[in-house]
Amino acid sequence: MRRLLDTLYDGCAALAALAMVALLASVLLSVAGRQLGFNIPGIDSYAGFLLAASGFLSLAHTLKRGEHIRVTLLLNSLSPGPKRALELWTLLAGALLAGLFAFYSAKLAWQSHEFNDVSTGTDATPLWIPQLSMAVGAAVLLIALIDELVLELRGQRVVPTSDEAMHNE
Amino acid sequence: MNELLVTTLLIVSLFLILGSGVWIGLTLSGVAWIGMQLFSARPAGDAMALTIWGSASSWTLTALPLFIWMGEILFRTRLSQDMFKGLAPWMQWLPGRLLHTNVMGCAIFAAVSGSSAATCATIGKMSLPELARRGYPDDMAIGSLAGAGTLGLLIPPSIIMIVYGVTADVSIAELFIAGVIPGILLALLFSGYIVLWALRHPGSVPPRDAVMSFGQKLHASRSLIPVVLLITAVLGSIYTGIATATEAAAIGVVGSLILSALQGSLSWRTFKESLLGGTRLYCMIALILAGAAFLTLSMGYIGLPRHLAEWIGSLGLSKAQLIVALTIFYAILGCFLDGISMVVLTMGVIMPTVQKAGIDPLWFGIFIVLVVEMAQITPPVGFNLFVLQGMTRREISWIARVTLPFFFIMVLAVALVYAFPQLVTWLPAHMKG
Repeated sequence: MRRLLDTLYDGCAALAALAMVALLASVLLSVAGRQLGFNIPGIDSYAGFLLAASGFLSLAHTLKRGEHIRVTLLLNSLSPGPKRALELWTLLAGALLAGLFAFYSAKLAWQSHEFNDVSTGTDATPLWIPQLSMAVGAAVLLIALIDELVLELRGQRVVPTSDEAMHNE
Repeated sequence: MNELLVTTLLIVSLFLILGSGVWIGLTLSGVAWIGMQLFSARPAGDAMALTIWGSASSWTLTALPLFIWMGEILFRTRLSQDMFKGLAPWMQWLPGRLLHTNVMGCAIFAAVSGSSAATCATIGKMSLPELARRGYPDDMAIGSLAGAGTLGLLIPPSIIMIVYGVTADVSIAELFIAGVIPGILLALLFSGYIVLWALRHPGSVPPRDAVMSFGQKLHASRSLIPVVLLITAVLGSIYTGIATATEAAAIGVVGSLILSALQGSLSWRTFKESLLGGTRLYCMIALILAGAAFLTLSMGYIGLPRHLAEWIGSLGLSKAQLIVALTIFYAILGCFLDGISMVVLTMGVIMPTVQKAGIDPLWFGIFIVLVVEMAQITPPVGFNLFVLQGMTRREISWIARVTLPFFFIMVLAVALVYAFPQLVTWLPAHMKG
């Protein structure tokens, strides 16, 4: 089970990284297109879709690495007992919010599919396909938060403290 | 009155949930959800999904992950190791000597990385031990590093400027160019302070290292020169209008990949690490931006930005008074929030007020970045102070004290930028394209 979950998070992150590479490629293609005088319809919308996929699919992986920021001033000043209670609350609240986000993202993708929504650009991509990345990313984030909640309840949760978290400022 | 009560309730619950340690991006969307349920008949869930999708897939945002990735690649090259060695020979003749490597190193690295804590950590890792070995006083070495590290936010490419540009709908390219002169000004002020200090305490500055010939100096900085050229190319292409910010970022990624390949530091492992590191950092910011987009929508339904603008307008504050009030407001907010969260959280609410007061949004962006920089080096939550605490094992209060002169220099910089807005607006006005 542990292996399966970790594979899920890392697999999604690998897809997110792939989307980032594809985003780079699409921007380079549009630059090349302008220089050499060819035009790929809707390349800008594709860049947007890849951007979204890159952000959403890595949500769970980033959470597991402890790189989503939060205010830890209070948490760090508490003694172990109250700290654990507060951690449980943050995980519960987080899971609830991620659940809402996952449900309505899936609903959005489903509705786009039902109503045959297409993007406004010249590419006319059916919108449910890129929107799926948001639904999947949010759902995997929900799974990761429940995973953390269960680990915390069992007393097995390790909150990673990563140097990378310092990069964001 | 009832409306005011509920608004207060929302703000209080926002800070309670944030303070309890719930992830910032999720908290923002949670509070937005409550606001939507209370104030509008529109189904909150559908509005959330649609708003977040719209903001997360917007083309203007594509510059952000690419610049982040570029920084992650260069972060893993020899650049950080060679920075001190490459700069030191050029700084010997200045009063204060090698202390200036902190300022110059941070200014150059800031142009590579959009983050000030990373700038501070990277430069300090090499310069602090070297400065201590040569006998430079700790307080000046650490203080100047903490101060100069904040240049990471002001000198483009800057993550926080992209975030501001997207949330406040200001051109990212213009913001970048607008940050150049204030960034150089701030670096000069820092260096000027070191010179003054060195002239007043001539006994505290250790003697100079062995003299090097011009060729030897060039050789020592051989790995810095290509990076400086890359930065010039990226910023130059934005300034001359050849490329948009996104395109310049893509070129920057390719350029830094080529640089790191030429230096021999590009391997499958470093490539993968930089890519995943960049993806995670972008993801962290994307979650906050998603929450903030929904919160801005929700606040719009409540009418908070409009009410606030009307209320502040009715106070009859002068522009200067408003700026001072906002500086204090952000300084307080900066006590417990990081810079990016501060910007996305407040922009949707404060922007109408700012525009109504006749303040140029471009100028305001640079102002916000300067104020956020100041918050980076003020306790209790100054990320740069934390970084330095981790590196030096000193008391955070001691670090904050030796940083204080540099904090006042930044206050001076804000005052200068207020008194002479041309420092910000002149260069973007002369951009082509």
